Amino acid sequence: MRVRIRFEKTGIMRYVGHLDLMRFFQKAVKRSGLPIRYSEGFNPHQIMSFASPLGVGLTSEGEYMDIDIKREVSSAKGIASLNENMVEGLAITSFKYLPDDAEKCMSAVTAASYIVTYKDCKDDACYIENICDLKEKFFDEAACINIVKKTKKGERELDLKPLIYRFNVEVKEGVPVYDLLLSSGSTDNIKPELVIKAFHEYLGLPEFDELSLDIHRVDMYTGEPDSFVSLGDIGDER
Amino acid sequence: MKKLALPDDILMQIDKPARYIGNEFNSVIKNPADVDIRFAMCFPDVYEVGMSHLGIAILYDMLNKREDTYCERVYSPWPDLHNLMKERNIPLFALESQDPIKDFDFIGMTLQYEMCYTNILQILDLAGVALLSKDRENDDPIVVVGGPCATNPEPIADFVDLVYVGEGETSYPALLELYKMHKADGFDRASFLREASKIPGIYVPALYEVTYKESDGTIESFKPIYDDVPAVIERQVVKDMDSSSYPTKMLIPFVRAIQDRVVLEIQRGCIRGCRFCQAGMIYRPNREKSVEVLKAQAKELLAATGHEEISLSSLSSSDYHALGELMDFLINDCLSEGVNVSLPSLRIDAFSLDVMSKVQDVRKSSITFAPEAGSQRMRNVINKGLTVDDIIGGATLAFKGGWNKVKLYFMLGLPSETDEDMKAIPQLANDIAAAYYETVPKEQRQGRCQITISTSFFVPKPFTPFQWAPMYEAGEYLRRAKVVNDEMKAQLNQKSLKYNWHHSDVTVLEGVFARGDRRLCPAILDAYNSGCFFDAWGEYFDFDKWLAAFEKNNISIDYYAYRQRELDEILPWDFIDCHVSKNFLKKEWNNAMAGNVTPNCKMGCSGCGSAKIGSGVCQNAR
Repeated sequence: MRVRIRFEKTGIMRYVGHLDLMRFFQKAVKRSGLPIRYSEGFNPHQIMSFASPLGVGLTSEGEYMDIDIKREVSSAKGIASLNENMVEGLAITSFKYLPDDAEKCMSAVTAASYIVTYKDCKDDACYIENICDLKEKFFDEAACINIVKKTKKGERELDLKPLIYRFNVEVKEGVPVYDLLLSSGSTDNIKPELVIKAFHEYLGLPEFDELSLDIHRVDMYTGEPDSFVSLGDIGDER
Repeated sequence: MKKLALPDDILMQIDKPARYIGNEFNSVIKNPADVDIRFAMCFPDVYEVGMSHLGIAILYDMLNKREDTYCERVYSPWPDLHNLMKERNIPLFALESQDPIKDFDFIGMTLQYEMCYTNILQILDLAGVALLSKDRENDDPIVVVGGPCATNPEPIADFVDLVYVGEGETSYPALLELYKMHKADGFDRASFLREASKIPGIYVPALYEVTYKESDGTIESFKPIYDDVPAVIERQVVKDMDSSSYPTKMLIPFVRAIQDRVVLEIQRGCIRGCRFCQAGMIYRPNREKSVEVLKAQAKELLAATGHEEISLSSLSSSDYHALGELMDFLINDCLSEGVNVSLPSLRIDAFSLDVMSKVQDVRKSSITFAPEAGSQRMRNVINKGLTVDDIIGGATLAFKGGWNKVKLYFMLGLPSETDEDMKAIPQLANDIAAAYYETVPKEQRQGRCQITISTSFFVPKPFTPFQWAPMYEAGEYLRRAKVVNDEMKAQLNQKSLKYNWHHSDVTVLEGVFARGDRRLCPAILDAYNSGCFFDAWGEYFDFDKWLAAFEKNNISIDYYAYRQRELDEILPWDFIDCHVSKNFLKKEWNNAMAGNVTPNCKMGCSGCGSAKIGSGVCQNAR
């Protein structure tokens, strides 16, 4: 039986990296007593996989992992027993049994939504009064948004436009807040900082520092742009 | 949200920020306002090393069981953070509350190895606490150190207020009660330290005066300044391991610690009496936990941590009386639950190979021998009761069982070692390789066997029969390693052998500190001020800076490391009573020089002196 678990990673847990988080969950699942299934062999490991890793420094309310369990546990009990084994900044928010044909969360992800803002309310971007209009010119009215993306193999030119499914901005208390829905997953994984960097270049702002951004992942999706489904909407509670 | 001492921009630019945020599962959260005593427990090395240390885990748990005390953890900030904290004047903080430790009542540090001495100063410096005990005032924390190096605390005497000599479980309650009394009564540092010096195992360096002979610089006298301060400090030991405080809720670090597993302490002390081994002497007598207690602790620890691996901790696990029963339990009860059993170094025999084949992939794992010396003569000198037959016999059994990798550990520079003894090391390795080719038919071999030889350089330690022995200069150690290497190349099976050896500069320094006295303090301070810290880490060790600090303070390496000490010399650690008597150590030194083997504690009592404790193996033997 496969279960999809949705969780939040917030607050100071943003400083814990993905590999450390995976190890934390292995131990937490073990402590919880959930009947997780193990692989065969001399070094059996829990059958557990995570959706797209969240970078150090980012927070999220829409993280997912899939686990295999040997017998059914009610969703409420699954959530409760895991939450007893969490720390501040980690919380389990759903526990759903997946249909047999459901794709693994790791490979299913095609898009992710983010809320992005600035850590410093005096960031250069906060002084651009018509930022919403400029965003329209940069995004809504553009046929293409060509950027140079640095990869392990060097640089390649990339058109961001078809990979950005939503790009809204509003100014709250003088600070721009972006609402983004971006292509994600194994092909065309677009990080939010890449989009904001391109926008900063369009705005003509000096040197962009990605650490100036406060990035929060809201959710992850599977499917095609016209019919995205949240990873958390697949499967049923029992 | 929990507050953090470090700002976001620092956390985002340093390596492994999760080292500094606390928040680990099972960490203890108390309201500082609810306690009388705030205790910062520090392992003066990087987080991953410190979080693996069992002693701190025991004391953290024990102190936090007290309602009046909040014990929090501190580790050495890695150099990247060290520089930023200095630059921006961020005081060193405890992980749990993230509060500056300068405001704590105690800063406790464990001294696990000599090369951490500059890290003690780093902790105090970053905390904003005066580096010298004499400069601290009433509202500064009390700096207390413990651990194996506290059996010769003299090289750091000027930096610490108190030294806890022995196992922490015994005297901390008395020390904390005394502190509370003094704190309630208008705290005066000097009178607290004076009273603390009367608690068993507590040593206050400032209350002792040392004079030196003009002729050769050795100690003339070492005595307390006041009549009511004890002249001898008795090392504290736990008498009953079964009822001794043991944590069931070990912390789960986010950053992978060196020990990412349940560590179950099965016994303290060792029956063997190897003459080079400080742990084998100072932790006497050998005290075992009962197998019932261990089974219960194993289950509880696995449940409370979720670790998927358990290992046993002790100096010589093969000597544990019920190892078979314990291993059966772990294999039957743990393996089925998806928990791996990782084995400690066991004596290689039919029993251990059977156990190993159940828990390891034979093709990938290796078997380990620690003969410590290559020739039988040398092994008799060090009282290592392992024979060539034990080694070849054990290896042959392992080869029959499918293993083809062997690791061998040796020491170079042992007292009386000759070139023949050194050459015997690769010769022994060659014989093991030959045993492989004789034992395993050609068609069953999977390539060559791999015999890996590792040598470390011997450092004489206090409270061992070798405490009087001379060391060699760095170049001589390397010459010895070359003798081994050249001889290895002359062996028939040399293609199956591999040799690793250590650097030698750090060995000499370790030797200076191990048997040093309080005249070293200014040199350690100067070395720290010139940028030395994390000396245990090769990439940060700077021998030239140390040489400069020694020269400036007229410290002669020759005096501390290279000379043969006289048996009647007053040694800097003679004021500590580790139960093993100086007479026994002298007798053992003479036995070593004569090549006589002394039986282990289970074979018979050799009268080392620790029987006066009335615990452990000493009781069984009588």
